[in-house]
Amino acid sequence: MSADQPPEDIPRRNGELVFDAPWESRAFGLAAAYLEASGRDWTTFRTQLMAAIADLPDTTPYYEAWVVALDRLLVADGLAVPSS
Amino acid sequence: MSDSHGHHPKPKTPTEQRVEAIEALLVERGLITSDVVDAIVETYERDVGPMNGARVVARAWVDPEYRARLLDDGTTAVGELGFGGAEGEHLVVLENTEDVHNVVVCTLCSCYPWPVLGLPPQWYKSSAYRSRMVREPRAVLDEFGTSVSDDIELRVWDSSAEVRYMVLPLAPDDVSGRSEDELAGLVTRDHMIGVVR
Repeated sequence: MSADQPPEDIPRRNGELVFDAPWESRAFGLAAAYLEASGRDWTTFRTQLMAAIADLPDTTPYYEAWVVALDRLLVADGLAVPSS
Repeated sequence: MSDSHGHHPKPKTPTEQRVEAIEALLVERGLITSDVVDAIVETYERDVGPMNGARVVARAWVDPEYRARLLDDGTTAVGELGFGGAEGEHLVVLENTEDVHNVVVCTLCSCYPWPVLGLPPQWYKSSAYRSRMVREPRAVLDEFGTSVSDDIELRVWDSSAEVRYMVLPLAPDDVSGRSEDELAGLVTRDHMIGVVR
């Protein structure tokens, strides 16, 4: 559809490389693990993700919005992540 | 996942640093372990993907009773084939017919039926797809090389709520002469999103 379409020919059992960089897969896995550990489903995170996507410029890469959403969720849970 | 020990000269971006800080905090608080994160990532990179949905479609093509159950209650029917979990709790399967074509979008983020399709492709999450598929679906389908003639009703489904959608594409004419494996091999992710008919 457009230039941002990832290469389709990298062999993967699921037909496509779903993450473009290791930090993206990490961000995904961290959200999943945290939700699981805190006994909640993805709805909790989804709400933050929708808000982050709406707040950030349209050009923001998807997983950057994801990290902002995760950060906000942690802050809402009283877990302030120290800035590096 | 091992540390890089400084072998990579490329400086980390603020986002990469943020991800590391989040992981360090959650591990330190005893909320998660890095092994659990590794396992989750590996599952979604290797084991969950559109090959699951393709099996569901192939079964529905060869077994009318399964097809009826699938259209009636997607979550339970895909569960019969061993597929389920996060983002598959309210799965609705949309049947393409000679007169109707279905296509799925998430206008607000990236909602997608993970157990049957895996994680969504990049374009599905792009603001262009999210906004244009609702506004000018035929034009977007054209860009995917999919021409849906005017006498076919085009239904665009927004999966931003709790429900997750998967499209059941039209079966090929010669279903009866083919094995289920062979049929599953014909089904792509794009068929099941509906950007290909």
